[in-house]
Amino acid sequence: MEDDDPIHGGSAIDQALQKKHHDMLERLSARHQTRKSDSPDSSSSSSSFESTSSFLARFADSKRFIESRIGELRLGSSSEDPSNIKSGLAEISSAIENLEKLVAANSYFLPSYEVRSSLKAVSDLKQSLDILSGELVPKKKFSFKSKSSSTKPESKLPEIHKPDFVSPLKVPVRDSPGFRNKHGETLVKSFRGSSIGEFTLSDLDSCEVKLTGTVNALFLHRLKNCKVYTGPVIGSVLIDDVEDCVLVLASHQIRIHCARKSDFYLRVRSRPIIEDSNGVRFAPYCLDYEGIEQDLKTAGLEEETKSWANVDDFLWLRAVQSPNWSVLPEEERLSPVSLSGDS
Amino acid sequence: MGLLSIIRKIKKKEKEMRILMVGLDNSGKTTIVLKMNGEDTSVISPTLGFNIKTISYQKYTLNIWDVGGQKTIRSYWRNYFEQTDGLVWVVDSSDLRRLDDCKMELDNLLKEERLAGSSLLILANKQDIQGALTPDEIGKVLNLETMDKSRHWKIVGCSAYTGEGLLEGFDWLVQDIASRIYMLD
Ligand SMILES: Nc1nc2c(ncn2[C@@H]2O[C@H](COP(=O)(O)OP(=O)(O)OP(=O)(O)O)[C@@H](O)[C@H]2O)c(=O)[nH]1
Ligand SMILES: [Mg+2]
Repeated sequence: MEDDDPIHGGSAIDQALQKKHHDMLERLSARHQTRKSDSPDSSSSSSSFESTSSFLARFADSKRFIESRIGELRLGSSSEDPSNIKSGLAEISSAIENLEKLVAANSYFLPSYEVRSSLKAVSDLKQSLDILSGELVPKKKFSFKSKSSSTKPESKLPEIHKPDFVSPLKVPVRDSPGFRNKHGETLVKSFRGSSIGEFTLSDLDSCEVKLTGTVNALFLHRLKNCKVYTGPVIGSVLIDDVEDCVLVLASHQIRIHCARKSDFYLRVRSRPIIEDSNGVRFAPYCLDYEGIEQDLKTAGLEEETKSWANVDDFLWLRAVQSPNWSVLPEEERLSPVSLSGDS
Repeated sequence: MGLLSIIRKIKKKEKEMRILMVGLDNSGKTTIVLKMNGEDTSVISPTLGFNIKTISYQKYTLNIWDVGGQKTIRSYWRNYFEQTDGLVWVVDSSDLRRLDDCKMELDNLLKEERLAGSSLLILANKQDIQGALTPDEIGKVLNLETMDKSRHWKIVGCSAYTGEGLLEGFDWLVQDIASRIYMLD
């Protein structure tokens, strides 16, 4: 585009450049306006789209526009007077915010890969804007206090350390009901008729666990070489740190963290997710015990929606299948497990 | 005056409030937002990224940003700090094991300069679960009493399942923001 030297002095050149720059911004913004009014569904910045492709087209368009605005502002900056720079920055910032709203408003129907890459793109734009405003706005006493604090692009969380940073918990927190610290045992529990709300399995090694009836929330923590069979969980199952396990679970939500070499047989309404896991395999729920039909109904899980196979790997950013999980081949699956007589 | 004051002026006109919902994964943020909006909460997946809901509340428009709390996503939280009027920190009151994680993340968040001016509502969610900690107990664990004196905050027990406590919490939040932003012309 312009071959101006961004670092230069001379007020006459400044004047001319400033004019030129200003005109260009006008043009760009006019172009952006027409483009916006051309497309029928863009009247509101947070409009929803019918299809992924129309979303992507609109997204790419706005992204290009914002990038070119950032480029223009950087190029012309040395000649701009501070108030122009500020309004330029403000304009870009609100354009980015609109773009972000666009993604957010569409994130319910977009494929997860698209959500993720759009999220990344928006975050990159914000970072460029932060860097730009750090370059352009002199660190004067009064202006842009909060902006200049965010110009370090790579710092994750603020590195201020207060003395009370890791103050120990003041309240002795009671333990929830559960099975803990067992080795080589068979652990059986029925929730039927009990008022237990949440239940925990933690630090179990080589155990077989059979839970029947419904419970509101289930936490699994540090299990090794265990087999776990559970009746339906009304809320969610949170799993952290399991290895060489077979887990047969039914729940509205199932969240898996740090699992290695384990098989999950799931009935689940939402998408199961994995984070920091590998060698995990999935298959449909295969549990039976007396009264399970009623329990599944109580939990709203009587229907097999096949969600067990829609696994999302939060650490896998590409469109191709994550290498961290797979569908368990049918011939290797457990035959239906019956707990009758145990509970 | 800088960028923020310009944006603030625009907001003032529209009576808009920007609310940021954060908290550990599984705490119930998305369920709360959908419940507030009268939507079905029976099939909700963990939030991969973020959602935004625009809700009319009293005479205000709330733009509620619901950002995922999974570990992988927490580093994105800081992208949403700018211009936040109200911060809602959601706690799973039945998740006793991760309370120190919860405290640590909240402490980090409150050190963030860009959030210094925002009102803080802490929702001790899942009160419907037998065995959940009470809001008082959560308040003690999170050490709320030692919070910076300049911060406006409140803790409220709630259940996204029954809806109990949600209005009480949001009423306080909206009033507190309104008294800071809109009444002080
Ligand atoms: N019993 C009970 N369960 C709840 C309540 N609120 C949410 N849940 C359940 O908790 C689980 C997590 O809820 P979400 O709303 O997805 O949690 P989130 O905070 O949005 O999680 P991320 O998106 O990963 O950050 C779901 O299975 C909900 O059904 C509540 O008040 N009571
Ligand atoms: Mg969520």
